[in-house]
Amino acid sequence: MSSTRPDVVTYQGHYAGSVSRFTAYVIDLAVSTGVFALALAAISFGVRVVTGHDVKWNRSSIVVAVIFVLWQFFYFGYSWAVSGRTAGMAVLGIRVVAADGSVLEPRRGVIRALVFPLSFLLFGLGFLGILVQREHRALHDLIAGSAVIYAWDARAARLRFLARQAELEAPAAQQPPLTLPG
Amino acid sequence: MNPRDRVRSAGRRWTDPAEALAQQVTERVVDLVLRALDLNEIVAHVDLNAILARVDIDALLKRVDVNALIDQIDVNSVLARVDPKPLIDRVDVNDLVTRIDMDALVEKTDLGAVIARSSGGMASEALDAVRSQAVGLDQFIDRWVQRLLRRKHPGPVAPTAALPVQAEP
Repeated sequence: MSSTRPDVVTYQGHYAGSVSRFTAYVIDLAVSTGVFALALAAISFGVRVVTGHDVKWNRSSIVVAVIFVLWQFFYFGYSWAVSGRTAGMAVLGIRVVAADGSVLEPRRGVIRALVFPLSFLLFGLGFLGILVQREHRALHDLIAGSAVIYAWDARAARLRFLARQAELEAPAAQQPPLTLPG
Repeated sequence: MNPRDRVRSAGRRWTDPAEALAQQVTERVVDLVLRALDLNEIVAHVDLNAILARVDIDALLKRVDVNALIDQIDVNSVLARVDPKPLIDRVDVNDLVTRIDMDALVEKTDLGAVIARSSGGMASEALDAVRSQAVGLDQFIDRWVQRLLRRKHPGPVAPTAALPVQAEP
């Protein structure tokens, strides 16, 4: 059962924290890798149908690695440039905006994707900003002039939760009391 | 005729005109006295507060038949004379809406059931749960980081510009 906290409603528009952002990234990584694997499988299937030859992808192949990296750039860059959020961010209800809170320009979305790997350098120190920086901005946020905020309507979620609670309690209240024979 | 009735009849012959005469005289005297008096001046001397202090308003109100009074009022004609527009203009609807306890409204009315039926099922429930748990953990970690860094003044909670972000479902 959902347990939407009443105080969560006040966080809409606030800077998103580390857990939401990390969870969103994990989902994105799973989605992008899954889509990539599916695409490779589809290409293999297509080649086999057309030519009759099996195509086997070597995971350690530099070509596959380069295509994967390019795909990652595309996945994140396109999502941020077009809508300010990836699939994982949509699930967690967070969104990338410009540092001042306005809608992220597509150019900044692309820059964010390009500099994103920099945050992984030096054992991921670039991500430390999400924890310690006052605006929870990582290295790639500072470079691209972006920030991540909560964008989901927690108020509506709270009402949905209360509505479900009320609906669950209603039939129980309407039932007549059970009387035992004798 | 009974001798007693005869006496009564004879008495009435004298008393009735005498009574009528006395009535006329009294009316005339009262009329003359009233003309001679300056009622406004008398009223000015009356201490109405003292009189009102002696009046038991509660007892008076108890004797008033409010229902009978209301029955005499034609509410429709009263309402027909009321112009609702200025009244509505004076109502601050936004202020009114902010005073509504939506939580109580959803919990105590059928509105809750309507929202529950119209707002998706398990998927949205799971999404709400994941998001709110994540926000809770975010805040928990943030509080500890602030303590470890011994920050006395927390940073801004949100970007400065107004957010044109559409709320996500």
